[in-house]
Amino acid sequence: MDGRDPFAVELEQFQGPLDLLLHLIRTQGIDIFDIPIARITEQFLRAVERLPPSALDRAGEFLEMAATLVRIKAQMLFPRPTPPDEEAGVDPRTALVERLVAYARIQAAARALADRHDAWAQRWPRGWREPRPRRAPPPVVATWAEVVAAAAKLVARRRPPLTYRPSARPVSVRARLRALWRALQRRPRWRFERLARHPHERRWVIATFLACLELAKRGRVRLRQLVPFGPLWVLRRRAPAPVVDHGPQPEDRSSFVREP
Amino acid sequence: MDLSRKIEAALFASLEPLTLADLARLEDGATEADVAAALAALRAEYATTGRAVDIVEVAGGVQLRTRPEFAPVLARLDTVPEPGRLSAAALETLAVIAYHQPISRAQIEAIRGVGCGAVLRTLLDRELITVVGRGDGVGRPSLYGTTTRFLEHFGFRSLDDLPPLEGFDAWASGDGGA
Repeated sequence: MDGRDPFAVELEQFQGPLDLLLHLIRTQGIDIFDIPIARITEQFLRAVERLPPSALDRAGEFLEMAATLVRIKAQMLFPRPTPPDEEAGVDPRTALVERLVAYARIQAAARALADRHDAWAQRWPRGWREPRPRRAPPPVVATWAEVVAAAAKLVARRRPPLTYRPSARPVSVRARLRALWRALQRRPRWRFERLARHPHERRWVIATFLACLELAKRGRVRLRQLVPFGPLWVLRRRAPAPVVDHGPQPEDRSSFVREP
Repeated sequence: MDLSRKIEAALFASLEPLTLADLARLEDGATEADVAAALAALRAEYATTGRAVDIVEVAGGVQLRTRPEFAPVLARLDTVPEPGRLSAAALETLAVIAYHQPISRAQIEAIRGVGCGAVLRTLLDRELITVVGRGDGVGRPSLYGTTTRFLEHFGFRSLDDLPPLEGFDAWASGDGGA
């Protein structure tokens, strides 16, 4: 890379990839409707290469555009055979040009707004006060140890891996409901995972969860989760009568959970 | 009491622009035409007596504002609020919203080609934009639109005052290029 590149630019001064493209086009007096894609792509990539590693956030936006440019360049070198139902000879640059024009208009509109702002900022209304910024939500504070511990927990939870069985044996929510109630008669407090029977099979988890919700709706249990992402507790409420099975009901027809 | 004087008092006391309908409530039986006539009289009076304030039409109503030539004088005082500046990114985002409202964050980002989360937060905090609805897409995204404060801030009477987007020459470069 020679140090005297006339189009060397600092990406920091640009709003984004579209702004950079417009800059390259304007400063070289290029006709927007006939962009020399190869040249512009090369200049664009050279600018992106100079992005400091700390600018990863912004790099993504620029890299996405770089990919678009490279694709257009390839399409112009090797035009695809035109499908019969498509209009012949659609310029691969068209979509990008339309975006650039729309963006350039917005930039002009933003400048017009800035001018109006400057003019009207000279004229004070009565005692108007800039609204105070609302307090930002507190940042998540965590030590590395906590992050690592959370990650370890996540890894542990994934083992054994979720088994996938193509058999479509459905799990009945109602059967789960009865099983749950029996379990709650034996002991009033359960961790949800212990109730799910096959806690690594999605349909069992879902059916058991739906059964828990149903019991909670009927006022038989309380569901508690003391900390976010912590264990879910199913607690039996002091209820006089056991769950009465009303037999099949119309809405029960769908209360089987199958593997998706 | 003259209707003009009542209007003057109301304009002085109000923090928001007042509509003709608002001002008509100051006097029993006053019509909006009466208000308009009284406002015209007040304006003429301010002009002939060389007052430092003027009545301007903004955000669908009228408001008292200092004349622009007093800006350097007012800047000497700390108690006069300094007009907040907006970054280039904020102005650009605001322009997208003003012309394309209601619009979702994803749509704004597609037009600008960059993420807009922090900028949207700033504009919301400054009450220049607000959530005006929910889109149909996945997750029912928030749709943003401009506020009355936006009109007031930029001195627009209504959104119809926005210069048409098509009227901007896309090639008039901001950095003096073309």
